[in-house]
Amino acid sequence: MVKVELKNVTKRFGEVIASDSVNLVINDGEFFTFLGPSGCGKTTTMRMIAGLEFPSEGKVYYDDKDVTSLPSFKRNTGMVFQNYALWPHMKVSENVAYGLEVRKVPKEEIAERVEKVLDLVGLSGMGDRFPNQLSGGQQQRVALARVLVIEPDILLLDEPLSNLDAKLRVEMREEIKDIQRKLGITTIYVTHDQEEAMAISDRIAIQNYGKIRQVGTPQEIYNKPDNLFIATFIGKGALLEGNVTSIGENISVDIGEGVLEGHNTGNKSLEEGDHAAVVLRPENFFLKELDEPYNVLDGLIEWSSFIGAVTEVKILIGDESLLIDAPAGREYVSGESLKVYIPKAKTVILPWMELD
Amino acid sequence: MTLPDSFSFQERLAKIRREFDLLTIIQTLIGYSSLIVFLLLPLLSMFVQAFIYQTKISLYWFWSIISSSDYFSIQSTGGRMLELRRGIMILWGTDHGIFLNSLIVAFNVTIACSVIGVVLAMIMGRYNFPAKRVFQIVLLVPLLATPFVNAYVIGKLFNPRNGLINWLLNDVLRLIPWRLDIDGLFGIAVAQTLAYYPIVYMNTVASLNSIDPSLEEMAENLGAKGFRLFRTVTFPLIVPGLAAGAIMTFIFSLEDLGAPIGFVGARANPLARRVVSYQIYNSFAEALTGGISPRTAALAVLILFVTALSYIGVRWYVNRRSYAMLSKGGRWATRTKNPQPYVKALIVVFLVALILLAAMPQIGTVILATSDWATSGTLPTTFTTQYMNTLFTNSEVRGAVLNSLLYSGVAVVIMILVGSSIAYIVDKRDIPGKGILDTLATIPVAIPGISLAIGYFLFFSDVFQGTLLDPLVDPALLLISAYSIRRLPFTTRSVGAGLQNVDKSLEESSMNLGADRSTTFFRIVLPLIVSHIINGAILGFVYSMSEVSASVTLGGLREDRVPITYFISQIVYGAAATGSVSIGAALCVLLMAVQITAMAISNYILKQKSSFLGV
Repeated sequence: MVKVELKNVTKRFGEVIASDSVNLVINDGEFFTFLGPSGCGKTTTMRMIAGLEFPSEGKVYYDDKDVTSLPSFKRNTGMVFQNYALWPHMKVSENVAYGLEVRKVPKEEIAERVEKVLDLVGLSGMGDRFPNQLSGGQQQRVALARVLVIEPDILLLDEPLSNLDAKLRVEMREEIKDIQRKLGITTIYVTHDQEEAMAISDRIAIQNYGKIRQVGTPQEIYNKPDNLFIATFIGKGALLEGNVTSIGENISVDIGEGVLEGHNTGNKSLEEGDHAAVVLRPENFFLKELDEPYNVLDGLIEWSSFIGAVTEVKILIGDESLLIDAPAGREYVSGESLKVYIPKAKTVILPWMELD
Repeated sequence: MTLPDSFSFQERLAKIRREFDLLTIIQTLIGYSSLIVFLLLPLLSMFVQAFIYQTKISLYWFWSIISSSDYFSIQSTGGRMLELRRGIMILWGTDHGIFLNSLIVAFNVTIACSVIGVVLAMIMGRYNFPAKRVFQIVLLVPLLATPFVNAYVIGKLFNPRNGLINWLLNDVLRLIPWRLDIDGLFGIAVAQTLAYYPIVYMNTVASLNSIDPSLEEMAENLGAKGFRLFRTVTFPLIVPGLAAGAIMTFIFSLEDLGAPIGFVGARANPLARRVVSYQIYNSFAEALTGGISPRTAALAVLILFVTALSYIGVRWYVNRRSYAMLSKGGRWATRTKNPQPYVKALIVVFLVALILLAAMPQIGTVILATSDWATSGTLPTTFTTQYMNTLFTNSEVRGAVLNSLLYSGVAVVIMILVGSSIAYIVDKRDIPGKGILDTLATIPVAIPGISLAIGYFLFFSDVFQGTLLDPLVDPALLLISAYSIRRLPFTTRSVGAGLQNVDKSLEESSMNLGADRSTTFFRIVLPLIVSHIINGAILGFVYSMSEVSASVTLGGLREDRVPITYFISQIVYGAAATGSVSIGAALCVLLMAVQITAMAISNYILKQKSSFLGV
């Protein structure tokens, strides 16, 4: 098990910058996820940790040892590829045994360890099958077994669930998390699915245009976004645009339809008169007065949609529509007005930034 | 390497050090050294010889060729075409000088093959008719190698005195009022057309089958029909395949020795000697005593310029005109029509006639080998196994067969080693100079075999004088190299096709699990492309067995080293002591058998492979 550290790592492909000055520490035994939209450089960053790409600048350390230009086969990492990359000409057991064979592990020990790891991933007895005789989920397990068997210092997972159907994806991610917890192995995970990232990770790094935008626990990232990109990328939420009118214990923002008070979670401070965004999560809207300090908005119901536990209601405030989670037990008639209350503690105010 | 200039020297150095592991170094060295020693340096020797006159760089030899009416004459200096004499329609072609003759023949053959190829492709690709699957196979019969004997058979069938076809058409069926005398340059063109049309046909049909039917359906939807549809949509889309087939035909025709030697042997008409390939071949007879003259080198360079420039031109045109099919998703069924019964009947009649005509050389070869037809006149009278038996009993014949088997076997190993090294570097690695390697490995396609043979002779008999690489000492190693190098572009492509199915992640996962690049190559990559390698090897073996240009030139320099094709050429030419052309035909039957077996095995393996991978 190792700690991984990236110092000022940059990777260019021709004129394109895939990873831009990445600085990170991934702790021993941690489940760490790179999350970001496609093309943001998260896979490239992981491949540099694996030694499949090499940084144009910067250094990669395993436990303070510089591995920047060490080829992949000398790093003892285990990477599960998005397409699993199972070798079609080898049986499941041969696929799994491969890493041990190239390490010159004695034959009897290989057989033993292969059996054990297949058991761990729930594939006992499948060793004699060829990969094309397995379902997607089973192939996924073989890919996992193949890297776990070498007892890697770091487990690297590159969008391992993206080829599975929705139900299997949830099952597999729980299994992966279980196995990781059992083995206590430093795990680095790449995904573009924020729900998956939130569910599985100890910490998440959100990357965009090659740059790491925020690193934190799922709670930190959800509740205390560093900037507007994070706030909109993670979770649902409505944006209201306005100007800062006063800075005190809370920050007040005039959105035209009223003044909202909240606090700045971002890493840049706000001044009076600054252009700012108010970020409101759907679950933080209430339909009656609250015991804590709150903001209130007058809305017009556009439409509602019953989805089970709550009813999603689209309301119009000024000319902005917001989606709120409202209690399911009543009717929401389009065109009627609706007063909504938001706790000031849950009102996030961030400096405005242009998003694309 | 694709690093922009802004990258530091250290960064480049680090990258180069990382990329050049042992396997890569070995593969790069194998690729470059074999191409430099066995392709570039021999060609360079030939250029040096051709461009030097009295120790100065000069165009003298080229000028002496171009300005001589023996080589280049706009006005006809001999020959006969469409002349009717005493009931015989003479079709020999007219003589415009050796160099121009070659170009005219190649040009006409290319046009004829293109027309036949496109018509066949449209019929086979777009219509349903009875026994279509049988025709698909039989149409390829002309690809079976019957070097020299094919032309001999055509010469014999169209002999005005007792040719079988003349007898049938004129005496029996009375379809035409005169007898045909097909010989000389025209005969060469006929023999080549019949042999090469499948090349155009196969390339065109491949293009045709890759057209997304919705493109044609869209055009029909917009009101284009029939010939207009063909002209505006279908034809432009098959041009890349057609062009690729046509340029191969053009090059094959220019370098072909089989037809000229076959016609000289069949009828001794001097007009059949008036092509470049024959002249260069002839100069090798003098090579034993006097060496190769600079004029011959210049002629070989000239013909190389023609093939290389036309190849480059066509490549450029095709690259500009190849359209990746943009359509997304799904497989499609090709558009085939069910025509009216009478149309089906017409198609079948046309195909049967074409195949009978085109397979004449193969059929004739079998008859020659199994009967007394060589001496009996119009029709064979008795069947005999004596000629086939010679393959096993006559020591000279057996020697040639064993030589060819040995050369081809070794050549296959070399071409696979070199071809897979180059293909791997080009397809899977990012190292400096891989583009050059890629280009070098393609060059042999555009080099006439006779030019390469001249280059080999000049380079190795000079630089390696007295060694085993000296063709005057022993041509065996050079024949093996010539087979390997000439076939290399195809082997490389064949292995490359396999490599393209090996996803990068299959190698990366191996390296990630602790295997270095060599282990990864031998344990992951090779097993995954093994069917392509075997396939490339089989086709390479067939090619080597029936290779003509190097075999009949270099191969004749030492009597106990001659390969099959040299032996056949000598028999057909009438120069071999063993005599009867029937023995040559028996050898051709052997070649055809090897080829059919190889095709069957290769078919089987490729099918096996897909079921094995479950695709």
